[in-house]
Amino acid sequence: MMARIEYALRETWASFRRNLTLTMAAVLTSAIALLLVGTTFLIQRAFENLLVQWRGDVAMIVFVRSDASPEQIALIDGTLRAAPSVIDVDKLRYFDKVESYAEAQRIFVGDPVTLSLLTPETIPTQFKVVPLTQDTDLVRSLADQYRTLPGVEAVALAEDEFEIISTLSAFVRTVTLIMSLVLLGVAIGLIWSTIRTAMFARRREIEVMKLVGATNWFIRIPFMLEGLLQGLIGGVASCAGVWVLNSAWTSGVAAFKPGTGISSLVVPSGYLSGVMLILLLLGAMIGAIGSAIAASRFLDV
Amino acid sequence: MIKLDGVTKVYGTDTVAVEGVSFDVAKGDFVFLVGPSGSGKSTLLRLMSREEVATEGDVWVAGRNVSDMPPSRVPFLRRSLGNIFQDYKLLLNKTVFENVAFALEVIGKPRHVINEQVPFVLELVGLQDKSERLPNQLSGGEQQRVSIARAFVNRPLIMLADEPTGNLDPATSEGIMGLLQAINETGTTVMMATHDHRVVNAMRRRVVQLDRGAVVRDQERGVYE
Repeated sequence: MMARIEYALRETWASFRRNLTLTMAAVLTSAIALLLVGTTFLIQRAFENLLVQWRGDVAMIVFVRSDASPEQIALIDGTLRAAPSVIDVDKLRYFDKVESYAEAQRIFVGDPVTLSLLTPETIPTQFKVVPLTQDTDLVRSLADQYRTLPGVEAVALAEDEFEIISTLSAFVRTVTLIMSLVLLGVAIGLIWSTIRTAMFARRREIEVMKLVGATNWFIRIPFMLEGLLQGLIGGVASCAGVWVLNSAWTSGVAAFKPGTGISSLVVPSGYLSGVMLILLLLGAMIGAIGSAIAASRFLDV
Repeated sequence: MIKLDGVTKVYGTDTVAVEGVSFDVAKGDFVFLVGPSGSGKSTLLRLMSREEVATEGDVWVAGRNVSDMPPSRVPFLRRSLGNIFQDYKLLLNKTVFENVAFALEVIGKPRHVINEQVPFVLELVGLQDKSERLPNQLSGGEQQRVSIARAFVNRPLIMLADEPTGNLDPATSEGIMGLLQAINETGTTVMMATHDHRVVNAMRRRVVQLDRGAVVRDQERGVYE
């Protein structure tokens, strides 16, 4: 048994060194594919963080018509305060025309056309509402109720912004997932090709091995180990890449002002370790799959 | 030791290599398979080592019917066979010692057995002083001796030799035949395909003659004709 293990390891290493150029290409492709997979995981987790924060701080804005009477404004204020179990009345704020216009100037700083349509006279005033409940359906039904109040122009829900983030998140996930799968396929193909080349280079040796009674598994194992090693090295390289990327992102995020929501895009280190473990396993798997297909397919030399 | 019973091998749909071949070979026999090129000699040897599967009939080797043997058992059949070829099939990047050791290594023999058996068999074929040479540093006859050493190192029950003297001059061929005879005298059955009439006539052993895939003569102590 020891002789067989020694033989398999020696042949694996010899073959690994013999086809260095092709091996490097296979390792590099595996590493890039796995890095993309790891990045997909991290981006996904960052988006989830962002969505979670928005959910925990769900806000509603009740826009009041610019021509609303003080009585109508008082009625809206009273109605909002009439639901203290649903709405955090301490955080309820009314933005008058001056404040609303000042905020609009900040919001639309990148959109001068919209800004030019607004004046301190025409801008709707607004109530900023922070609900106490996590039940978005309840908040939505309250919003529907507030829309019917006299003087209310519109009610906007932060929840609607979630759809944008969710759509963006789904889009990024789909794109990175497709790219990852394509690159993983390419990596398997390259490992397959490396092993096939290695087997072709040693076809005479394989022929002799078969003639003297070596089993197919004895012949296959060094080639399969070689593929496994390529995938694993790609996995280790991708782990290093993911770690560097995440460290750079984490320190970059720290430069943003607090409360901008960007800080929530940091991935916790426990999750990163899990991703790295997955990348290693995935690397070993693509190496094993690519080499197993080649070793089975091209044994009849 | 070997029994062929109505063996036919057809390549593709209509290329008949051997047809209805039947004969027995007892343990310790030395048999020449003779006939012109394309008469089916090599095909018969390949059927015996299960490099080919018979289209019809049974091929019994060392007590096993190799025609319906599952592929997973074939390596174990081959461990009881020694194969010798006209082109030696040596590994050019390995030394004489490594070439012979390779046959033991790939069937999982431990290092101490290899270190014991290989020098012994190299001495048997007269190459004990050239064990560190590479094949291309040897003459044709010496390369064939390495090939024989590799085939014999695992003490096979049967030696299958396909034109082993085909590339050698008469004097060297004589040496190779002497080796095969010595191996045969240890009890190993030898089946040798050849169209070298000199060695057949000199040895006067059993001759099975093939013509267009069929046995046309099976003669004890025969000559080439």
